[in-house]
Amino acid sequence: MSKERCGVIGIYAFDENWNVARFIYYGLVALQNRGQETCGMAVFDGKNMKVIKGRGLAENFFTSKNLEEARGWAGIGHVSPLNPRRDENIQPVYIGDDVKVALGYNGRILNHKELMEGKFESEEDAIAVASLLAKELRRSDPLEAMESVMEKMRGAYSLVAFTDKGEMVVARDPKGVKPLVIGSFGFDHGAVASESAAIDVIGADLKADIKPGEIYAINQYSIERKNAFKDKERYCAFEYVYLCRPDSVINGRSVYDVRIRIGEYLAEEFPVDADVVIGVPETAIPFAMAYSNATGIPIHMGFVRSGRSMRTAIRPTQFERLVGVQLKLNPIRQAIRGKRVVLIDDSVVRGTTTRNIVNIMRNRIGAKEVHVRIGSSRLISPCPFGVEVPEKDELIAAHLTEDEVSKVVGADTFAWLSLEGMVKATGFPRDKLCMGCFTGEYPYLEEGA
Amino acid sequence: MKILLVGEGAREHAIADALAKSVHEPRIFAVMKLKNPGITRICEKTRGEVRLGDSTDPAFVASVAEELSTDFIFIGPEEPQFHGVADKVEENGIPCVGARRGPSEIEMSKAFMRRLMWKYKIPGRLRFMAFKDIDEAIAYIEEYAESIALKPARQAGGKGVKVIADLQAYLKKEKEEVKKKHVKSIVEEHMRPYADIEDRILIEQKVEGPEYTLQCFTDGRVVKPLPLVQDNKNAYEMDIGPETGGMGSISGPGETLPFISEEEYKESVEIVSQTVRAIEREVGEAYKGVIAGQMMLTALWGPTIIEFYSRFGDPEAVNVLPLLETDLVEISEAIISQSLNKVKLEFRNSATVVKCVAPRGYPNRRDLAKGHPMVVDEDRIVEAGGRVFYGSIDLKNGEMVTGGSRAVEVFAEAETIPAASEIAERCASFVNLKDGWKLFHRSDIGTEALLNERIEAAELIREIYRYRREKNLIGKQIDWLPGKGRIEYEF
Repeated sequence: MSKERCGVIGIYAFDENWNVARFIYYGLVALQNRGQETCGMAVFDGKNMKVIKGRGLAENFFTSKNLEEARGWAGIGHVSPLNPRRDENIQPVYIGDDVKVALGYNGRILNHKELMEGKFESEEDAIAVASLLAKELRRSDPLEAMESVMEKMRGAYSLVAFTDKGEMVVARDPKGVKPLVIGSFGFDHGAVASESAAIDVIGADLKADIKPGEIYAINQYSIERKNAFKDKERYCAFEYVYLCRPDSVINGRSVYDVRIRIGEYLAEEFPVDADVVIGVPETAIPFAMAYSNATGIPIHMGFVRSGRSMRTAIRPTQFERLVGVQLKLNPIRQAIRGKRVVLIDDSVVRGTTTRNIVNIMRNRIGAKEVHVRIGSSRLISPCPFGVEVPEKDELIAAHLTEDEVSKVVGADTFAWLSLEGMVKATGFPRDKLCMGCFTGEYPYLEEGA
Repeated sequence: MKILLVGEGAREHAIADALAKSVHEPRIFAVMKLKNPGITRICEKTRGEVRLGDSTDPAFVASVAEELSTDFIFIGPEEPQFHGVADKVEENGIPCVGARRGPSEIEMSKAFMRRLMWKYKIPGRLRFMAFKDIDEAIAYIEEYAESIALKPARQAGGKGVKVIADLQAYLKKEKEEVKKKHVKSIVEEHMRPYADIEDRILIEQKVEGPEYTLQCFTDGRVVKPLPLVQDNKNAYEMDIGPETGGMGSISGPGETLPFISEEEYKESVEIVSQTVRAIEREVGEAYKGVIAGQMMLTALWGPTIIEFYSRFGDPEAVNVLPLLETDLVEISEAIISQSLNKVKLEFRNSATVVKCVAPRGYPNRRDLAKGHPMVVDEDRIVEAGGRVFYGSIDLKNGEMVTGGSRAVEVFAEAETIPAASEIAERCASFVNLKDGWKLFHRSDIGTEALLNERIEAAELIREIYRYRREKNLIGKQIDWLPGKGRIEYEF
C-alpha cells in the first residue's frame, strides 16, 4: 500500500540575522494534515547544515531544545505519513560529498531505482534523488543541475532541496500533479510550501503557484526561475476533495470554494427529503454547509471532536482506525434523535468508518433515517503518486453498487458525487486534472515514458 | 547659457536630457564621481564638460561653478544637499536648483521630518520614536512587540531600513531578535559614517498599502506636482526579495495612477504643500528645488508619508522627466526667482514604464555586482521604441563598467502601462554583460497582473480609511485597557 502524501516547506531569509527554524516548525505544524508519522527540518547558517528529524507529530517531536540547536537563516522542512524502517530515510534526507544536499519531496518518483542504477531500496527514493542532484551540482549550477535531474525523473513531485553552499532549489513536476506555492515576507523572506495555509501561518503573503515543470534556484543574491518542462497540467483532484486544508489556495483556486461547489452539486444530484444536514468533521463541513444552503434543509452540528485532529485514513491499523473515529467523534444527540438525517462525508475507502458513524446515529441515538452523501466520486484505484489510497482490493467503491453500499453501511440511501459533478466543482476542465484514483487512468503512466 | 549639473545617476541623466531639450540651448556641465556615459554624451553634445570629483564636496562644486561661471547649478542627489553644496555655491552668487542644507533636513533627518509633521499637524503622519543609543531602542523593542519599521535616523543612501510585521505571537521571539540585531547594525554600520545628526535610530509604526511617489517642483511659495509614479522595491519578481533602491516604476496616463483616485492625488499634493511651508517656518529658509513624498495609501489616513526626498526619486525621475513638455530651464529659472506660480507644467499624456537592469549581486552583494564590462545596444532599444538612461556605470577607457548598483534604466512610453511594460521588456534584453556575469530585472513591473494587484490592494485600504473618516477616527486611535479604561491617542 502506498502511503506517501507529504508536505514540504522551504524558507530563505535574505538577511542572515534571521533564525528561521521556528518559521519552518510552524509551517510544518500547519502542514500536519499531510502526514503525521515523521517530520524533520534541515537548517543552514552559512556554514553548517543542521538536520533534525524524527517520528511523530511536529508538535511532539520538536522541542524548544532541538529547535534552539537548529539555528540558521534558511532551511527546508518535511512531514510524512510514511514510516521508513531506517531513520536516515526520514526526510529531509541529507547526502553528498563535494556538494551536500538536503532534500524533501511530496509525491512519488516512479523510476527512482533506475536513477542510481538500482542501488537503492524502495524507501530510499529521496536519497536517490538527493544523490543524483548532489552529483549534478558538482558540474553545473543549481538550475541546470535540477533540470538534468528532472530530465531523468518520472513521476509526480513537489520538491525542495537545500545545498551546503547556501542554495535552495525548488521544483514541481511537469504536469503539476502535486501542489506547490511561493510566498514572501516583506523584504526578508521568500518561502515555498505544499499549501498556501502554511505560508499564511508563518505570516508571509502568498504570491503564486510554482508552475508545472518550473524550477526555482534561490541564493542570497538572486532568484532564478525557469519553466524547464512545460507539459499539460494534471492537477490532483483529490487534493481539492480531501487532502488540502480548506484555507489553502492551490493552482490559483481556493480549496474552500471547490468544497462549497461540491456540496452544491451533491444537493443538485442527490436531493432528499430530510430534517437535518450533518457533516462529518472536518473535511466534509463545507460540503454539508453548501448542501444545506442549496436544499434549505437546516444544518446542525452533529459531532464534537476529542483530542487533536487526526486523519482517520492514515491511522495504521483497522483497530486504530476505529479507535480514531470513536474517540474523535462524539455525537450531539439532540441534533440527531428522531430526525431524518443527511450525513455528509468526504470519502469512503473501506466503508468501515461510515458504517461506524451510521451505526452510532441510528442504533445508539435514534436517527429516523440516515442518507449518506459523499463529497467525492467513487474511489476505485490506488494512487501511484503517493496519495494514501489503498489497493483496489480494499476499495468498496471498486466492488459494490451504491445500493449495496447503503446496505453495508446501514444507510437508507447512499450516493457518491458524480465524476462530472466533481470535475465541475474544481472549475478545471477534466483534461487538466489527475483523476486517477477515481478512474484508474494516470498521467505519466499512460505515456509509458 | 551654462548649467552645472551635480550627480552621476540615471536620475541626473534624465535631468540632463530634459535641460538639453531647452530652447535656450544651454551648455551642460557635470560634476560626477563616476563617468556616467549618458550624462557625458549630453555634455559633449551641448559643448559642455565633465568634471570628475567628489560631487558632495561643497568647495569642489563651488570652485567648478565659479571657474565655469555657470548661470545656475542643478543638484540631482541628496548627499550634496546635505553637505551644503547649494549654500556654498550661492555664497558665490550662483543660484541653485536643489535644496539648501537647511530645507534638505526634511530628507536627511527622518526624526526631523516626523517631528515637523506632528508639530504642524500635517495629515499623513505616523507614530514614531527617535533614539540616540542602542540600549534605549532595545529596551523599547523588548517592551513593545509591534509591527514596526526600523530606520537609520539619517538618510543613509536608502539602506538600513527594516520593516517587520509582528502579528503572530508564536514568532514574536524570532522577530524581537532580528529587531534587536538590526538596531545594532543601524548604529554600528549604516549610521557609522554620519556624525551630522544626533539621533541614531528611528522606530515607526508599520503601515500597509500601495505606495506611490509624488514629485514636485517648488520655489518655496508654490508647489507644482509632476504625475504620480509607483516604484517597486523588492529585488525580485512577484514582490519577493530584499529591498532595493527601486527595480522599476510606472506612471500615467495622466497625473495620477490607475490605483490612486483624483481626490487622493489632491490630498497628497496638499500634504507636500503644507510640508514645504512648515519647513520654511522651521528652518527660516525658502525651499527651492525638488521635493518628493514617498507615500502610501493607508487605512490610518488615506495618503500617508513614508519618507520625504529632497530631490527626484530614482527611478521615478526617469518616468516623468522625459514627458515634460515645459522647458526645464524655464522651470529652473522660475524656481530661482520664486515665480513658479507663473509656470504651467505640461506633460505628454502617456503611460510610462521604467525597468532597472542590475548585475546579479545587487543589492546585497554589490561586490559581486561591480566591475563587469557592459554593452548596450542603443540602436535596437530605440528601434523597439524605448530609451536608455545610464545609472551605476563608469566609463573607463571608453568601456562601460558596472558600479555595483542598478546599471541601466530602460524607459518606455505608450498608451497604457502594460503596453509600455512590453516595450521596456524588449529593451531590457538589449543590455548585456560581456564577461558572462548575469544581469537581472523585473519582468512583472507594469504588467496587467501586477497592476490589478495594486488596484485591489488600494480598494481594500480605501474602504477602511473611508470607514475611519466616517467614524471620525482619522488621526486617532482608541483603545481600552483593563484598569485604565478608554484611552484615546491623538496623532
